[in-house]
Amino acid sequence: MAPIAKSFDYLVIGGGSGGLASARRAAEFGAKCAIIEKARLGGTCVNVGCVPKKVMWNTAVHAEYLQDHKDYGFDVNGTTTFSWKTIKDKRDAYIKNLNGIYKSNLDKSHVEAIVGDAKFVSERCVEVDGNKYTAEHILIATGGRPVFPNTPGYVLRTFDSMISSELTEELQHIGINLMKQTQVSKVEKAADGRLTVFTNNGEISEVDTLLWAIGRVPNIEIGLDKVGVELDARGNIKVDEYQNTSAKGIYALGDVCGKALLTPVAIAAGRKLAHRVFNSEDTKLDYSNIPTVVFSHPPIGTVGLTEEEAVTKYGKDNIRMYSARFTPMYHAVTERKTKTVMKMICLLPEEKIVGIHMMGIGCDEMLQGFSVAVKMGATKADFDSTVAIHPTSSEELVTMR
Amino acid sequence: MVSRADICFEIDMGTTQQCSLAISSQSAGLSYRKIKMAAPIVGFPRAAFIRGCLQLRWGTTRLSPNTVGFSTFSRRKYGWNAHVEPTIDWTTLTTVVQQHVKSLNWGHRVQLKDKNVDYLNAKGSLLDAHTVRMLSANGKEKTVTASNIVLAVGGRPKYPDIPGAMEYAITSDDLFMLEKPPGKTLVIGASYVSLECAGFLTGLGFDTTVMIRSIPLRGFDRQMADLVTDHMEGSGTRFLRQHVPVAIDKTDSGQLQVTWRDGNGQEGGSMFDTVMMAVGRFANTGTLGLDTVGVEWYSESGKVIGRDENPEQSSVPHIFAIGDILHGRPELTPVAIKAGRLLAHRLFANTHEHMDYDKVPTTVFIPLEYGSVGLSEEAALERFGSDDVEVYHAFYKPLEYYIPERDASQCYIKAVCKRDGDQEMVGLHFLGPNAGEVTQGFAVALRSGLTYQEMVSSVGIHPTCAEEVVKMGITKRSGLDPTVTGC
Repeated sequence: MAPIAKSFDYLVIGGGSGGLASARRAAEFGAKCAIIEKARLGGTCVNVGCVPKKVMWNTAVHAEYLQDHKDYGFDVNGTTTFSWKTIKDKRDAYIKNLNGIYKSNLDKSHVEAIVGDAKFVSERCVEVDGNKYTAEHILIATGGRPVFPNTPGYVLRTFDSMISSELTEELQHIGINLMKQTQVSKVEKAADGRLTVFTNNGEISEVDTLLWAIGRVPNIEIGLDKVGVELDARGNIKVDEYQNTSAKGIYALGDVCGKALLTPVAIAAGRKLAHRVFNSEDTKLDYSNIPTVVFSHPPIGTVGLTEEEAVTKYGKDNIRMYSARFTPMYHAVTERKTKTVMKMICLLPEEKIVGIHMMGIGCDEMLQGFSVAVKMGATKADFDSTVAIHPTSSEELVTMR
Repeated sequence: MVSRADICFEIDMGTTQQCSLAISSQSAGLSYRKIKMAAPIVGFPRAAFIRGCLQLRWGTTRLSPNTVGFSTFSRRKYGWNAHVEPTIDWTTLTTVVQQHVKSLNWGHRVQLKDKNVDYLNAKGSLLDAHTVRMLSANGKEKTVTASNIVLAVGGRPKYPDIPGAMEYAITSDDLFMLEKPPGKTLVIGASYVSLECAGFLTGLGFDTTVMIRSIPLRGFDRQMADLVTDHMEGSGTRFLRQHVPVAIDKTDSGQLQVTWRDGNGQEGGSMFDTVMMAVGRFANTGTLGLDTVGVEWYSESGKVIGRDENPEQSSVPHIFAIGDILHGRPELTPVAIKAGRLLAHRLFANTHEHMDYDKVPTTVFIPLEYGSVGLSEEAALERFGSDDVEVYHAFYKPLEYYIPERDASQCYIKAVCKRDGDQEMVGLHFLGPNAGEVTQGFAVALRSGLTYQEMVSSVGIHPTCAEEVVKMGITKRSGLDPTVTGC
C-alpha cells in the first residue's frame, strides 16, 4: 500500500488525558484534527494510573472496613479470603470499557485516530509507520513513563513536612516495614523465581514482587532534535505559560512537560490551548493552587504552598498557621484507629489561605470545594463565617482555632 | 467536634457577678472573663436532651450503609470472599452507640467545669423577667436572678393525635435504646429524621416502610428530595405515599397493628414490630413561662420569635433564644453553636457580629448522602424568574460503583446560578457518596460569591466524586443529556 500523506489543522501526538481533551475541543471549533497514539487510548490515567489505582485503593478500603465490622456489631463468622483474579478481571474490564468510550468520543468529535509511533521529520510533519502527516499546529502530549534508576529520598519529599511525617507514621503503624535512607545496589533472582534485593541496610529475601516507584521520565523519543524543541535540565519539554515550545507551531502539555503531573491539569491545559489556537482567545492555565489527592490510607489532600514554601516566599512573620488533629468519628467504636490531621497556612494581615494540607478519612472528597475557595482568595474569616456541616470531618476546617 | 446548645441560662448572682452559660461544649464560657455560674435546665428525662442530637445524628451517619453496609454487601465484587453472610448484632451496636454518647456527655461536663461554668441539674422556668425558678429531680426548688437569660431548650419529637401513638410508638430518641432489634419497622414522617432512620434500618437488613402524608423532605429542593426517595426505594425501603395513620393497636403477639387511610380515603393496615414517629418536632418551651414574662412565641410550634435586626433577641430585650427553639431558623447543631458563640461575644466581648443564617450548608445522611447549600431550584426561580436562572447539572457514576455494578441513577449534582455575567451560584446540590465531606468547601466558596465561571475554571481532583461538581457543563435549558461519560 502506498504511504499516506495527509494534512490536518491540528495534529496531536499522544492519546492520553491532555491530548484527547485538546483534540476534541479544537474539533469543536471546526479544526480538522487527528490524534496519534501507539498504545491504548486514555494514556496513563485510564490504563496504568488514576483509574486502576483508585480501583485498587477501593479494594484496600474494603480490607480496612472488614477489620471494623465486628466493632460495628456485624456478626462475621468464618474467614474472609481475597481473590486477586476477581478484582483484576473486573478492573481490566472496566478499563477496556473506558478505552472504548474514548474511541467513540473521538469518533463523535470527528477526530481521526491514528495508531502508531510518531516521529518528527520536520517542524510541520510527523511520520507514523511510513505515513506522513502535516499540520500547522502540532501538540506533543506524549506523557511519561516510570524509571528504574537509583534515587535517594524520603516519603513524599515535595509535600508539606507534616504530611510526610504523618504518612510515614501511619505506614509504620499499619505494619509496613519502612526502610528509610536505604538504597538498592543489586537484585538477584533465585531458582524458585523469587528475588533477593541487596541494600545498604541489609538483604531482603524471598521477594515475590519488586515494584519500583521512584519517579517518571518524559516520553521525548519522537525526533525532537529534528525540530529544535528545547528540553529543560531534567529532560522535560520546555514550554512557556501558553504551552508554546521553542519551535513555532509546536506545543506541549501534560506529563511530558514535567509540571503538575495530573490528569485534570493536562485536560485543562489541553482545552485552554485549543481555545487559544483555534478560537483566538487569550487564555492559559493558571498553575497555582492546583489541588492534589494522594490515595494513601487514609488519603491526603493538599492545595497551595507547603509551610516551608510559604515561609520562604513571605517570611515567617507574615504567615500564621492553624492546625487540627483528631480521631474521626468513624473510629469511635472501632478498635482500629487512624488519625486525621489538618493544617491551614494563612498570609497576614488578612489571613488569606495560601495552603491547606490534610490527611484523614474523607480528605479525598473534601478538598475540591475548599480548593475552589482558596483559588477565589478566601480568608480564614470566610472559612470561619461558614456554618459547619455536622457530623463530618470537613467541618474541622471551618472551625479551626 | 460534637456539641449542641441545649439550654442556656445566665444568672446574675449579685451586682458584681455575671454568668454565662453555653451548653455547647466548645462555646461554654470560652472567651468570657466574667463567667461565674450557669444554670442549665434538664429536660425530661434528665440528660436525654443532650443525647438527643448526638445519638440520632451520630448514629445515622456513621451507621449509614454507605460506610458499613456498602462495604459489607459490595465487597464480594471486589474480590473479597466471606464464607458467611454477616448479620447485625443489635446489642453490640446499641451498646457502642450508647457508650460513645455517654463519653460525649461526660466530655461536655468536663468542659463546663474547665471553663468554670456551673452546671445545675434542674428544670427551669421564668418567674419574672430576671428571675428563674429551678426545680430539681428531688422536688427541691430554688430561685436565681440573672441580668441576661438565654433559652436553648431545644425541641422534642411530636406525636400525632391518634389512638395508640403515645402508648405504642417510639421516636428517634428511643431508637438506640431499644433492647431488642426493631424488626419490621414503620417510620411515619417525611422529614430527614424519618428518612435517615429508615435508610439505615433498611441498610442493616430490617424490613422498613416509610409513611408520608404528602411530599418528602419539605423545605428541601423538590427534585433532590424525589431522587433521595427514589434511591431509598431502589435500596429496598417501602413507601406508603399520601397515607395518614389512623390508629395503632397492640396485638396479643406483641406486634403492632397499624391502620391508615390512603389518598383516596381507603382504609388499610398492616402489622409491624416497631412504629417510629418522625412527624416533626415542637419546641420544648411549654413550661418555660414565656407568657409570664411576655416573650412572644408561635403557638403552632412553640418557638420563640426573634427580631429581624437581632435574630436571637426575643420581645424581651435581655432574654435570648438560640437553637431549635428559634422561629424561622434552621434546626441544626452547628447553627445553634455558632449563634450561641456569637451571642456570647456580643454580650461579653463587645463585638457586633451577628449570625448569618443565609447559605447554611447541610447534609442529609440517608444511605446516599445529600449535601446542599443555598437556594433550591424552585426558590431561585421564584426569586429571580426563570429567564434569570441557569441550572447546570450532571448525572455521574462514582468510580466505586463500577466494580460492584451498583446503580448510580440518583448520583446527581445541580448548580443553581444566576444567568447573567459570570453566573453567580446561588445554590448547590450534591447527591452521592460522601456528600457531607464534599459540600463543606463549596459552601465556603458559595458564601464568598462563587460564580459558575470561576468554578469550572478550577482544576478537578481525579478520581473523585467531588470533581464532578467543577466539571458540570450541561444546562437544564439546553435539554441535553446530562449524563457524564468517560473518566
